[in-house]
Amino acid sequence: MIESIKLIFQEHKDFRKQIFMLAKSDLIKIYRGAALGWAWAVIKPLMTLFVFWFGFTVGLRHGKAVNGYPYFLWLVGGFLPWFYMRDMIQGGAECIRKYRYLVTKIKFPISIIPTFTSLSHMVVHLFLLAVGIAGFWIMGFAPDIYYLQIPFYMLLMFLFYEIWGLFAGMMAAISKDFLNLVKATVQALFWLSGVIYNVDTIENPVVRTALKFNPITVIAGGYRKSFIYKEWFWEDKIELACYAATFIVFLFLALWAFKKLRKEIPDVL
Amino acid sequence: MATDEKPVVIRFTHVTKEYKLYKNDKARFKSLFSNKKNYKIKRAVDDLSFELRKGEGMALIGRNGAGKSTILKMITGVSYPTEGEIFVEGTISALLELSSGFDPEADGYENIKLKCSLMGMSDDEIKAVLPDIVEFADIGEYIEQPLRSYSSGMRARLGFAISVNCNPDILIVDEALSVGDRAFRKKCTAKVKEIMADSNVTLLFVTHALATAKDFCQKGIVLEKGKKLYEGNIDDAIEFYDSRN
Repeated sequence: MIESIKLIFQEHKDFRKQIFMLAKSDLIKIYRGAALGWAWAVIKPLMTLFVFWFGFTVGLRHGKAVNGYPYFLWLVGGFLPWFYMRDMIQGGAECIRKYRYLVTKIKFPISIIPTFTSLSHMVVHLFLLAVGIAGFWIMGFAPDIYYLQIPFYMLLMFLFYEIWGLFAGMMAAISKDFLNLVKATVQALFWLSGVIYNVDTIENPVVRTALKFNPITVIAGGYRKSFIYKEWFWEDKIELACYAATFIVFLFLALWAFKKLRKEIPDVL
Repeated sequence: MATDEKPVVIRFTHVTKEYKLYKNDKARFKSLFSNKKNYKIKRAVDDLSFELRKGEGMALIGRNGAGKSTILKMITGVSYPTEGEIFVEGTISALLELSSGFDPEADGYENIKLKCSLMGMSDDEIKAVLPDIVEFADIGEYIEQPLRSYSSGMRARLGFAISVNCNPDILIVDEALSVGDRAFRKKCTAKVKEIMADSNVTLLFVTHALATAKDFCQKGIVLEKGKKLYEGNIDDAIEFYDSRN
């Protein structure tokens, strides 16, 4: 275990320059070739937000203002991290297959692939976050001191999906079934998290706590704490403990997969 | 023998490589969670030992399935041996499957930079060799187009141009000299000769064109089904190989 961690860190150290280069080229590829280019980074999420806002506010007539913030902004608060997480759940599982030419044709450390994939999505996330904060401001809600904890939740999110990408990417490289399983689970994970509703208002305490083991709940909730509810991250210690538990489980899974599959993947892909 | 005093750059010590052949993906997935042996073992390289010193040229001779490509993959570090030890020193430039290993969405320039950088070259070094590579590949305006629009010949040309122009310590050539039209083939052969004139570059050559092997290599190894049958100077190795077929 310790050796695997050491090796992963060493690989990141040796390839630190290439990580940023590959992240950049990954990012450029997503938006190149489209006439609107970068505008799609905003148009697609806005479309999703509009659909949910319309469905809940106009259709189900349920979208009420929360804590003085319009329902649309409440949605934005949770969806901002969700867009990154959605891209990483599937993108993390696909990353090693997608970059198979790095694995099977040249000497290249596998652990780097999830990192630069995640970094490239992170840039899009930062861009969207800036747009989101500007949106809040325009609507009359200027940034305040609670925004300072956004980087903390961003770090939690980045670390978790780095580990997820390592585990899922390797599993999906070995087995297409795993990749299909992940793709089928994205929707379920979305509805079983707090992106679209506030988990704290669920009456059944077992369900309420169970959902907090889903990192999506904690991260989306964390962003909303900063944007909407104006609470600090240390106020809900159980939530952080649930997040840590899930994190540790996936850390072990990732290290197990790394140890077991690292040398096998070049022969299989 | 001057070469005997030069340091060893590639050493195989009792290297064995086994591939696990599963019936299907499902069986492979299952094996992750159990210790049951539900696969067949295919031994691609069987207890192979050899040494190659700096500046030497060696040809790997053998029929399809003799384990040549597996050996090259292990030298380049793509694949790992099941048993035994491999020692390699210096930067390797491998002309394996030239037309692959590119990013199909990126253009020629970006692919050159990417490949060079992954070989561990610095930005300045890349800048220095970039014009040489573009000139050698000689694919005109296509250098600014995404790789997916390239013909297989153009890909191979670009691949070859990168591999020979990045100042490697060890050059691995796998059937690569048979790509492209005759004019390009001639250019490639001339370039490899030029590189080999520098006595510090080590060459590993895999080919069925035995005449070409004689031009570049002093030593030869004959392989069959992963086993080393013969090791010696190139003329004897070729004679041995011919006598068996």
